[in-house]
Amino acid sequence: MFWPKKKNRKALRNKSEAKQGKGLVLFDTVEEAIKAEKLVTKAGYECCLVAPPPSLRKGCDVAVEINLVEQPAIERTLQPVSYNEVVPLAGSAQLLDIVQVFEFPEHIMVKAGNMKLTFETQSGIIVNTSGGGCPDIPYLHIEMMGKHLDEIPRPRDIGHTLCALMLDRAVEGAREIWAEGGTV
Amino acid sequence: MLLIAGIIPRADTPLIYGTAARQGSLLSIDGYDIPSGQGTAAMISAALAMTEYLQIDPPRVVIAGDIGRGNGSRLIYQYLIEHLAEISPRVLALHYWMPDLELMQELYEQVQLLNPRPMLIADAASMYAAKAVGLASGFDVFTPDLSEIAFLADAEAIHPAYIDKHLFESCDVNSIPELIAAAYRNQGAARFLLVKGESDFIADKNGILASIDGPDIPELECIGGTGDTITGMCAALIFSGMDIENALKLSAQTNREAGAINHTTPATRIEEIIARLPEVFRSKLNPRE
Repeated sequence: MFWPKKKNRKALRNKSEAKQGKGLVLFDTVEEAIKAEKLVTKAGYECCLVAPPPSLRKGCDVAVEINLVEQPAIERTLQPVSYNEVVPLAGSAQLLDIVQVFEFPEHIMVKAGNMKLTFETQSGIIVNTSGGGCPDIPYLHIEMMGKHLDEIPRPRDIGHTLCALMLDRAVEGAREIWAEGGTV
Repeated sequence: MLLIAGIIPRADTPLIYGTAARQGSLLSIDGYDIPSGQGTAAMISAALAMTEYLQIDPPRVVIAGDIGRGNGSRLIYQYLIEHLAEISPRVLALHYWMPDLELMQELYEQVQLLNPRPMLIADAASMYAAKAVGLASGFDVFTPDLSEIAFLADAEAIHPAYIDKHLFESCDVNSIPELIAAAYRNQGAARFLLVKGESDFIADKNGILASIDGPDIPELECIGGTGDTITGMCAALIFSGMDIENALKLSAQTNREAGAINHTTPATRIEEIIARLPEVFRSKLNPRE
């Protein structure tokens, strides 16, 4: 088995030229932000307390900086505290919420961002998931394949990454279609 | 050597470095049996099918178990960073893992030290990380789908979940040339792109070089792993010495032909598609050419 040499992540961080890949959790009070930072650190995710830039500031002037790709797992960790929202430090401030639907003779594919979920219209059984690239996606695929839409755990509850969040939106869209009789 | 790196969806699998071999329906790597479908395993399986047909060295792989926490991903990054100089691959294909931008930057710096520098291929979150950290133009091949080319075209996006809404809404087969141009303008594209979709487009900084339109099997988009098999075949073909443009064309065409051999439905499993590849190779490829 390979064990990596210990790396100084702080040294690596100093080499990073920008806040690429980072997001901010915004709070109303400094106390909530400090409590959140402790919870996230204890759960094993990298984070730190920062002052949000004026353009993103909502509430207090302390935020928790996170790796944005881990947003769903960190939001689960933050359930005991009150926070406003999670925003990316660069790019669009909104998670994609567009769901597209594609019909096949016996199946429906629901697409949310880069993730796709396909179910059998007669039974509501998930027959495939595709797309994405984060490390929980192959695992979620195995967890969902061959199961009924109403019986699977939500990807946002067992996944860790933004791809899992997109897959969750596809599940949500598919469940709505299924609840309305499996037709678009 | 063709080296493929990525995670497998098991929580308890340690880091494994070894040569890929087939063991019935499984992949066997350094004594570990791994299911051959889904994600990086599908990519390895398709690459292995191609190297077997071409009678060239099978892929070497670096894999580790990871179900989303990023622990296995970081083991792979660190292993590559520490051992790339001694491994010295001719083609390095990076795939599913946690997009850790700092480690991606450090890995890229190690790649730059190699002489000769390997061909660099990225798909899945390796592509997300390479683009997000501003290293896309240092890669030789990206293989995005339609939503991912919109991500590459969005100068500021760090993940396809956070791309500009209007860019996403407008992305369809007709907008692909503009999205490709924007990706190159914004330094978000590799030297070559294969944009997978209703039609597959091969492009470089000068625009679209070729498109593959048939056979049209829309069901392939539903099947998890059909993008991974294209990237795996393309990596193996580039390793065989084929030029990148032709390797991309042939990989995209082969995938479609594999979908057309038997009745493909949205419920078809990727293992079935992989099993059809040798038949397509026999009709499309002369190993002596």
